[in-house]
Amino acid sequence: MESNRPRYCLGLLIMFMVVFSLGIERTANDYILAIVSFTGINIILAVSLNVTNGFAGLFSLGHPAFMAIGGYTTALLTFSMEKKPLFLPDLPQWLIPVHLPFFPALLVGGCFAALVAQIVGISVLRLKGHYLAVATMGFLIIVQVLLNNANSITRGPLGLNGLEEFTNVSWVAGWVVVTIYTCWKIKFSSLGRSMLAVKEDSMAANSLGVDLFYTRNFALTVGAFFAGVAGGLWGHLITAVTPGSFSLIMSFNIIVMVVVGGTGSITGSVTAAIIFTLAIECFRPLEENFGIYGVGEIVISLVLILILIFKPSGMFGTGEPKFVTGKYKQLSPTNGK
Amino acid sequence: MKKCFITIGLFFMSLPLATPCFSAEPIKIGALYSLTGGMSSIDTPSLRGAELAVKIINKNGGLLDGRMIELISVDAKTDQKAAAIGAKKLLSNGVIAGIGHSDPSFVLPSAPLFQKKGIPFVTSGATLPTLPMMIGDCLFMVPFGDDDQSFAIADYSFKSLGVKNVAIWTDNSMDFTKTLSKFYKQRMTELGAKIVLEDFFMMGDKDFSAQIARLKNVSPQPDAVFISSIPNEAGLTTKQLRENGLTLPIVSGDGFDTELIVTVPGKELANDVYFSTHTYRADPRPEVIQFIADYEKEYGVPPENAFAPLGYDAIALIADAITRAGSATPKALKESLAKTMGFKAVTGEISYTRPSRVPVKGVSIISVKKGEYNVEEIWFPTTK
Repeated sequence: MESNRPRYCLGLLIMFMVVFSLGIERTANDYILAIVSFTGINIILAVSLNVTNGFAGLFSLGHPAFMAIGGYTTALLTFSMEKKPLFLPDLPQWLIPVHLPFFPALLVGGCFAALVAQIVGISVLRLKGHYLAVATMGFLIIVQVLLNNANSITRGPLGLNGLEEFTNVSWVAGWVVVTIYTCWKIKFSSLGRSMLAVKEDSMAANSLGVDLFYTRNFALTVGAFFAGVAGGLWGHLITAVTPGSFSLIMSFNIIVMVVVGGTGSITGSVTAAIIFTLAIECFRPLEENFGIYGVGEIVISLVLILILIFKPSGMFGTGEPKFVTGKYKQLSPTNGK
Repeated sequence: MKKCFITIGLFFMSLPLATPCFSAEPIKIGALYSLTGGMSSIDTPSLRGAELAVKIINKNGGLLDGRMIELISVDAKTDQKAAAIGAKKLLSNGVIAGIGHSDPSFVLPSAPLFQKKGIPFVTSGATLPTLPMMIGDCLFMVPFGDDDQSFAIADYSFKSLGVKNVAIWTDNSMDFTKTLSKFYKQRMTELGAKIVLEDFFMMGDKDFSAQIARLKNVSPQPDAVFISSIPNEAGLTTKQLRENGLTLPIVSGDGFDTELIVTVPGKELANDVYFSTHTYRADPRPEVIQFIADYEKEYGVPPENAFAPLGYDAIALIADAITRAGSATPKALKESLAKTMGFKAVTGEISYTRPSRVPVKGVSIISVKKGEYNVEEIWFPTTK
């Protein structure tokens, strides 16, 4: 028998998010709001990468590429009609009248990223292990080069700026709940179980009838969808997108969150994303008052090394902690009879 | 974690406590520079220049009857996200102006936030001429625009060097280098010169033999090669061109304003190189000499590059505008900055007279002959 605890937790999470986002938007200043929003976006990124890297064991470095695709798509769709001729004079004719409100644009951005992931998956998912990592890194570089050179649409290395500041804490909180809920449902469905099986032993999973390619491609696509949405939120939070932002460093940062939280653990990814985003900001007063810039990054790297040495499986391992799942009421041999 | 929250909490709670300690309220100016990451080698000198300016002004009694300047510096970490967060942090600290950034990619996420609050932002190093148009009336530039520096070197190569056929090499990975080549091509074609070859490389390239081979085989042979690059490739391209026996003049923009074009190829080979840059290097004006002396006294080393005086100028420009306005409110400061006329900055005179609000500023043409830098001429834009 499954415990009801996850449902209570979801309810609590939604209630908390509503109260928290309403409360903080009334009281905090822009700086705090920005940090909270970035924390939320990092949660979306870490949890969605966890589907690809953690559940299905596909070591993908391409997450920022999907973010970039989603971010640019959303940005182009919501770009203000008055600014378009001024900022993007060489835009192809058919793109000029296209305009969508923020929410549909986010969905289109996510879906486009997912579509690209499908196409990329067909060729890339035949590879395994570090070959896959290198191939996804190659994909990230291809996306960056395309963005750098498709001047008429992306304005090259300068990127798109002057986007409306749509993203706020409520939007981010909403997407955080949707992401966590979806990924949780996937993890505890038969599909999620087959993902975990594929990760542990693909041959054994295959012989039990799990379609390896379908399972892997699904994991990559789901990850890409939420990365695309996160890209859209990200772009409309800092009101600019450039190819340089979606770099290998960013994919490293997201992977660190997944690894430290525990590959496969949603609770872990959420916790690690919160800790990492806030910790860097915590060191700011120290850096600024004593003039020792960069100390935050050093301390975080040290923590990462220590965690990898003393708890290589991450904070929560593959599972979810007991306080979220509750106790499984197992049918033990004695009371089962 | 809890400790971190407490630290943050205490930090913010202590802010109001600290304010009454000063008799006259300080004038807060925010500085946004990338002190870590790839931009740090040019952004750190800018911040040091700005800090020097603040120190000198405060030592001389501050502004507006003894109000001191307080420079609040936030690290932009060569990262757009950090630049945006940093800008928000400065704005919540109640700054009346912001300075910073040497690249438009970081101005674009941070300056619009200042614009939205009506607080002026002075970029000390970003040279993209369309920046004020894209961001709004709160953005001010200390340096000249890329169009001016390209036009300057184009005029010089056509008129003084007699270049009729030119080859153009462009670093295709950056907006700055692409813009520079675009304006150079535009001016050279207007003047009637012919572009015989266009070639590209990427930031970080070490070997230019393919480009050199194409350059040797092009017909008609170019009279000069325009290389649009940043400092690292500037030294390498010069060295490899000269080692391959090509003696044609090399022309470029402020990416070549670095010691690397002499130290990498060596003094013998660093010959016949011409570049346009901020009026600072090898310039005998009293402001420049005074600045170099002050900088050496403060830090024990000469200014690292032209970005140090640019950072200094950003603060000096704001201080001048505050003094003229007689008030330190953002609105008065913005209006007064826009009226800046003939302000004698270390990197040349600044006037905001154009509709594009890119400063009308002299551009130095510097020649390098056998490793010696010389100012050939100062080019002035024809005010449009």
